[in-house]
Amino acid sequence: MLADTIKKSLTALNLEKVADGDYAKTGYHLEVAAQPDQMPAVAQLFLDQKCYLESLTAVDLVESFLLVYHFASFFELCRTVVHVPLAKGTRMPSITGSYKGADWYEREVYDMFGIGFSGHPNLKRILLPEDADFHPLLKDFVGGK
Amino acid sequence: MMLQRGIEEKTFFLNLGPQHPSTHGVLRVVLEMDGEFIVNSEPDIGYGHRAHEKMAELKTYPQFYPNMGRVDYLHALAYNQCYCMAVEKLLGLAVPERAEFIRVITSELNRLTSHLLWFGAYLMDLGAFTPFLYCFDDREIILDILDRLTGSRLTYCFYRFGGVPADIDDEFISATRGFVQRLRSRWDDYHNLVTKNVIFIERTRDVGIITEAQAIQYGLTGPTLRGSGIPYDIRKSEPYSAYPLFDFIIPTGERGDILDRYMVRLLEMEQSLRIIEQALDKLPTGPIMAEKVPKRLKPAEGEVYTAVETARGEFGIYIVSKGDVKPYRTKLRVPSFANLSILSEIIQETLVADTVAILGSLDVVIPEIDR
Repeated sequence: MLADTIKKSLTALNLEKVADGDYAKTGYHLEVAAQPDQMPAVAQLFLDQKCYLESLTAVDLVESFLLVYHFASFFELCRTVVHVPLAKGTRMPSITGSYKGADWYEREVYDMFGIGFSGHPNLKRILLPEDADFHPLLKDFVGGK
Repeated sequence: MMLQRGIEEKTFFLNLGPQHPSTHGVLRVVLEMDGEFIVNSEPDIGYGHRAHEKMAELKTYPQFYPNMGRVDYLHALAYNQCYCMAVEKLLGLAVPERAEFIRVITSELNRLTSHLLWFGAYLMDLGAFTPFLYCFDDREIILDILDRLTGSRLTYCFYRFGGVPADIDDEFISATRGFVQRLRSRWDDYHNLVTKNVIFIERTRDVGIITEAQAIQYGLTGPTLRGSGIPYDIRKSEPYSAYPLFDFIIPTGERGDILDRYMVRLLEMEQSLRIIEQALDKLPTGPIMAEKVPKRLKPAEGEVYTAVETARGEFGIYIVSKGDVKPYRTKLRVPSFANLSILSEIIQETLVADTVAILGSLDVVIPEIDR
């Protein structure tokens, strides 16, 4: 089972939480919580297991951010969610070193939330115009004004 | 302005788009050219950004639902279905079996319209005008069938949380059966016109190759991935709705080139016909809506991720609920976004003419990338 293999290899990283998910309720087989500086190692581990980065996004919790990574596999049904809390005003280590596809996802998170990614090769806006002065998915951004 | 690398004297920049017919939407690709060859490239997206994800946070669940027909307008019913599935999961709603069958039939019909449009438009990119007329002739029939049932031809907003609002009748069934037979009788025409055409083969064989390792790096899904030999299809890998009840196969390619991706899409259409036929044969009787759907949707706190297989690959919805009538956060994981991000890597060192062929073979829908 891929989920067991991933769980076993994640223990070496000393993560905050590695638990089985309630698939019927949430769609996750594994739920993981990690600290920002652990994320590049976590991503590399998923790449070694031939998982792909399904999505990468963030949630604005007003006091802080929550980065959400989804990994899944082409070869076996196993979806993992990785939650990474990030204090506002701090940067997130990029995982583009492992996943080239993370390049655009991280740019989108930067575009929408203003979160910087250290180690990203080309961090700039992706969907909004280059001269936009706002990050629309922040909770304090009010549209239509 | 876009490309950071030092510009040598011999190279020049060329804009492909944003208003270029073969970009299928408003996409700009900045090409750094050495004569006819591409040295470097960068897609520039976002021209059609409509802030769907922000809208999702500002509206209630039912209010946001019509947006789902407008993310990928070519396979809108799959997006309808994914959003319904996500909300149903949050609410713990069970969908009656007949409704699941109707969802599968209509979604597969919609997949066929998407692939048929891709077939015609893609060959037009390559300079062949005739196939377009053939496949639009076929596609029109599906649009009429779906129009009668759903009330719209393109931007569907048909399924409901807990089922479907309208039942299919005998006329729908006989029209659909008639269409299945008609499209089957057309394969010979399609293959004689295009698949066996030596000009087409020369232009697509061993061009735009994507390897398995690249597919994992970029998170490719859909026919773009399956052309590279990985049989990953959410309908099989993570079965949802009524798909486990039907017998169908997942066509894959071997070399990962354009021709393989083309063949995957054509073979997939045959499988869609098989699914539709089986669903019509086995169609159960019973209700089409869940009995107790709350008037005011207020899911409990929690988060959910659901995925469906659209014509372009995996569409996923991630919803965070804080127990309110509006979702706290909705993320749309669109297949074209990941599928386009590989473009720069695979068009390097190719000719401009091949760029158009490769870009088209990824079958991206720009409005879903921009959201």
